[in-house]
Amino acid sequence: MIVEYQAGHGILHRAHPFTNLTLVGSVAVLAFVLPAPGGPLVLGAALVTLAIAAGLVRILLPAAVVVAPFWGFLLLIHGLLGGEPLRALTFGGRIGTMVLGFLMLLVTIHPARLVDALVARRVPFAFAYLLSATLQAVPRLRDRGRQILEAQRCRGLRVRGSLFRRIGAIVPLTVPLVLGALAEVDDRAMALESRGGGRAVRRTPLDPPVDTMADRSARWVMAVGTLVAVLLQVLK
Amino acid sequence: MTNLTMTMSPHLLALIPLAVGINLALGQIAAVTHLPLFLDTVGTVLVACLVGTWAALATGFFSQLVFTVVSGNFTWLWFLPVQLAVAAYAGLAAHVGVFRRPWLTLIAGLGLGLLAASMSWPISFFVFGGVTGGGATVFVALLRGMGLTLGWAVYLGGLVADLLDKTVTLLLVRTILVSAPARMAARFPGARRTIGEA
Repeated sequence: MIVEYQAGHGILHRAHPFTNLTLVGSVAVLAFVLPAPGGPLVLGAALVTLAIAAGLVRILLPAAVVVAPFWGFLLLIHGLLGGEPLRALTFGGRIGTMVLGFLMLLVTIHPARLVDALVARRVPFAFAYLLSATLQAVPRLRDRGRQILEAQRCRGLRVRGSLFRRIGAIVPLTVPLVLGALAEVDDRAMALESRGGGRAVRRTPLDPPVDTMADRSARWVMAVGTLVAVLLQVLK
Repeated sequence: MTNLTMTMSPHLLALIPLAVGINLALGQIAAVTHLPLFLDTVGTVLVACLVGTWAALATGFFSQLVFTVVSGNFTWLWFLPVQLAVAAYAGLAAHVGVFRRPWLTLIAGLGLGLLAASMSWPISFFVFGGVTGGGATVFVALLRGMGLTLGWAVYLGGLVADLLDKTVTLLLVRTILVSAPARMAARFPGARRTIGEA
């Protein structure tokens, strides 16, 4: 399953990317800090409410698909085999909350908008470039992997059968993909160099996301709230 | 990481995204063969051999980040320290010359499997209660059903998968380095040196 950005006009779509990142970071910390199993479950319910309010009802099903195998195995290993259903509920609540929060982040932040926000904050161009170039390279190389698989099958390669036959099939499938990718490096490096890609100068994004007072306030509230929860847990 | 990205050459900026793409694309090829392999660190180990440890660390970092983003599964991000450890180990292995002989590569692969399993089990155990949703979890459930404690079941489940995966990964990278055309290998400082031909 591949989850990607989905256009929208909800509160999380309008927010600055750093606000959504802070939200997910806070959720990931609070899922472990709040008293279990009630804390993570209440946090999860709050996230579901936020998702509905932000017009993200459509991500609840993919979230359930991601989380279902975890819950199934937790129930089996801790509930049935270990006799600790509360432990299964604790880990299930934590994992479910983190997965939902992260999916909310993925569908509301366009990668290019995140890169613009990073560059506007003086994050080195190379870091921002690597993030966006990698996201673009992955589907292309996956497609090429599929093409190589089909081509090698046409030439008679068998990827099923005995263990040794399957291990033997790995080399003719992987080596062309890797060498093909390495052959691209020079062309890409030349294109980058001609655009000043390797120079450590500051770029100016054309249309950086607007960081409003509401965004900044929300980030402070989330950061301070999370810190207080951590301190309370540590001092307890 | 910031210092590294400030001074990256265009060559490295071009190589790292492709290496990350290799990490993710080879996972689907491994799935086709129905072998218990991930092959999700081949690009990282390759960069360690071609360029060096720092570039491999950057590749490992972006691999785990992008894998998490593409899969939509936040749990993968917790295993970032394992990717970084693999990158550091591969850099060291390339530096000391374990890719010069196949049997040395095999031993180094087993060592890497042991390291990866030893680093991933505390994350699986303490953060996810031993359940990571992958195929190894089925093995964990089986071992648990046989009466092993959860800690041992999680460790052994990961160990079996990692020993096989990391050994195949290192041997595969050696095969790639050996079979790379001379003109291509000449563009990367470590390509021939790593296999002892320079």
